Amino acid sequence: MLCALAAIPVLIAVAVRVSSAVPPGRGPAFLDRIAQNGLFVGVTAMVVSVPLFLPLTVGVVAGDTIAGEAGQGTLRYLLVGPAGRIRLLIVKYAGTAVFVVVAPLVVALTGAGIGAALFPVGPVTLLSGDTIDPGEAVVRLLLIAAYLAVSLLGLSAIGLFVSTLTDVPVGAMAATVVLSVVAQVLDALPQLEWLHPWLFSHYWLDFGDLLRQPVSWDSFVGNALLQGGYIAAFGALAYGRFITKDVLS
Amino acid sequence: MTRKWLRWLPAVAVPAVIAAGALAGSLPASAGDPLPPKTPEQVLQLIAQHREPALSGTLEQSSELGLPELPKTSAGSDSSSTAWLELLTGPHTARVYRDGPDNARIQVMDRLAERNAVRHGNEVWFYNSKDNTASHVQLPAGAADHHGDGRDATATPDQLAAVLLAKIEPGTDVTVGADVQVAGRAAYNLVLTPKSDATLVGSIAVAVDGQTGLPLGVEIKARGQSDPAFRVTYTSLTLGAPDAAVFTFSPPPGATVKEIPVTVPERKHGKDSGNATAPAAKDSTRKPAVTGSGWDSVAVFPAGTAGPASDATAPALLGQATVPVQGGRLLSTALVNVLVLDDGRVVAGSVPVERLQAAAAQK
Repeated sequence: MLCALAAIPVLIAVAVRVSSAVPPGRGPAFLDRIAQNGLFVGVTAMVVSVPLFLPLTVGVVAGDTIAGEAGQGTLRYLLVGPAGRIRLLIVKYAGTAVFVVVAPLVVALTGAGIGAALFPVGPVTLLSGDTIDPGEAVVRLLLIAAYLAVSLLGLSAIGLFVSTLTDVPVGAMAATVVLSVVAQVLDALPQLEWLHPWLFSHYWLDFGDLLRQPVSWDSFVGNALLQGGYIAAFGALAYGRFITKDVLS
Repeated sequence: MTRKWLRWLPAVAVPAVIAAGALAGSLPASAGDPLPPKTPEQVLQLIAQHREPALSGTLEQSSELGLPELPKTSAGSDSSSTAWLELLTGPHTARVYRDGPDNARIQVMDRLAERNAVRHGNEVWFYNSKDNTASHVQLPAGAADHHGDGRDATATPDQLAAVLLAKIEPGTDVTVGADVQVAGRAAYNLVLTPKSDATLVGSIAVAVDGQTGLPLGVEIKARGQSDPAFRVTYTSLTLGAPDAAVFTFSPPPGATVKEIPVTVPERKHGKDSGNATAPAAKDSTRKPAVTGSGWDSVAVFPAGTAGPASDATAPALLGQATVPVQGGRLLSTALVNVLVLDDGRVVAGSVPVERLQAAAAQK
C-alpha cells in the first residue's frame, strides 16, 4: 500500500517531465512550480493524495484492525491470552497510527526524491512570495507530513470503532472510506457552514498554512484539537463496543 | 446486564465531556475589567488620538451581501478584477503587520494560496501566489508624509472628533453600546444608526480598543438582516513591532513581475471599509450628480464613467451578478443597490430599487 502511495509523486513527476510547461493556475496547486523546483513534487503529491488516496489507505488499515482478526477467526485466540481487550485495542490503534505517520512521509520524501532527480532544486518560493533555501524547505515538507499524520489520526479512530462493529473487514474499510468522502462532501456545501468546523476533514487541506512566511500555526493547533476530540470520542466508543462484544470468531 | 451497560459508561462520558468543553469554549468570554464609561464624543477622540501603532494581527472578514459566491478553488484564469471581487464574497482571513506609516504588510490567506501587499518605505509590492505574479509600485518620495502627519498637524484629536460628530450627527444616532471583547481586548462599541428609514443600512458598529483607541473591528448590518452584511474584525492582535524581515520583499525567481507606473498618488487602502456605503465620493474626473442627503443619497453617474465597464471580463460578470429590472439591470446587494441603465448611466445608492428608479427618472 505504501508502494501505491509512493507511485503518486513518481507519476506526477514523470508526467510533468514529459509534458510541456504547465500554465500557472491550472490543475492541482503547485503543479506549475514543479518544473522550476523539484521539491514541489512532494507538495503537489500531498495535495493530490489528501482527498482520496491517503484516507483510502488509512481506511483499509484501520478497518482491518479488529474486523480483520474476527474475519480470519483469530480474534478469539488473541483474547485467550492474558493481554486483555483494552490492550489489544490500544496495540491495534498504535499500529494504525504508525501507518498514518509513515504514509504521508512516504509521499513527501518520494516526491522530494524523484523531484530532485528529474528537476533542478533551488530556493523554494513560499505562498507569501518569500523564498527559503532547500534545507528549510525539506523541514517544511516534513512539517506538512506531520500535519497530515495528525489529520488522519481522527479518521483512523473512526475506522477502529467501525472495525469493532463488524466481522467483515471489507465492510469496515468501505464504511471508513465512505465516511471520509461524506465528510468532505459536507464540508463543500456552503449551506452547512455551522457544521464545517466539526468535520474531521475540515482542516485537511489547510496544510498550506505551513507554507506561509511566517508560518501560521492556527490551523495546526485547531486541527490537533479537533483530531484529539475525534480520537477520544471514537476511542471511547470503540472501547465500549469491544469490551461488551461477544467474541464468537 | 447492568454490568454490561456500566462498561459503556466511558463511551458515553467522553463525547459528553468533549461536547461540554466545546460548548463552553464557543461561548463569548465575558469582559474582564469593564472599561470606564465614555460618551460617543470621547470614543471618537480616542480613535482620533491613536497613532498607528506597530502591530501584528489576524483579521477575519465575512460578508453576507447577497452577491453570488464565486468558486474558491476555480481552476480557470483568475483575472485581477474577479480576484478582488472575490474579496467581497465569502469569508476571508488575513494577517496584518504594521510598523509606523511606512511599513505594512497584509497577507490574504486563501486555501493553498495567498495574496500579499507589502509596503516598505516607498516601495509597494503586490504578490499573488496563484498565478505567481508580482506587481511593483514605486510611490513618489514624500508620499508617506502626506497621510500620516498631515492630519494630526491640522487638528487636535478632540477637535477632529467634534467636527466628525457634528457632521454625522444630523442623520445618525451615535451611541456607545455595551463593551465588547475583540481579539481578547476590551473595546468600546460605537454604534452608528441611520435615522432615515429609506436606507438599506441598519447600523454600523465600530469596536474601539479601550487602551489604544485602535479600531478593532467594523460590523455593518443591513436593515432586516440578523447576520452582519459585512464584518471585518481582528481575531488576534499583538502590539509591538513585528520582525523587520516581514516588510522586505523581493519578487521570487520565476515570477512574472509587472511595473505599475504611478500617475496619481496612490491612495492608501486602509481598513476603513466603512466608506463602501459612499462609493460615489472618489470619482474626481466626472462628478456624479447626487440627490438626497446623508444615508439615503443617490448618485447618478453619467454614461461612460462607470469604472468596471472598461474591464474585459466585466460584461460577463455583470450579466451574471445582475438581474434585469425596468429600465436597466440591477446589481443588488444587502447594503448597496447599483442600477445600470440602458442608456449607460449608472445609479447607485444605499437605498431600495424604487428610489434608484425614481432618481433615474428625474433627468
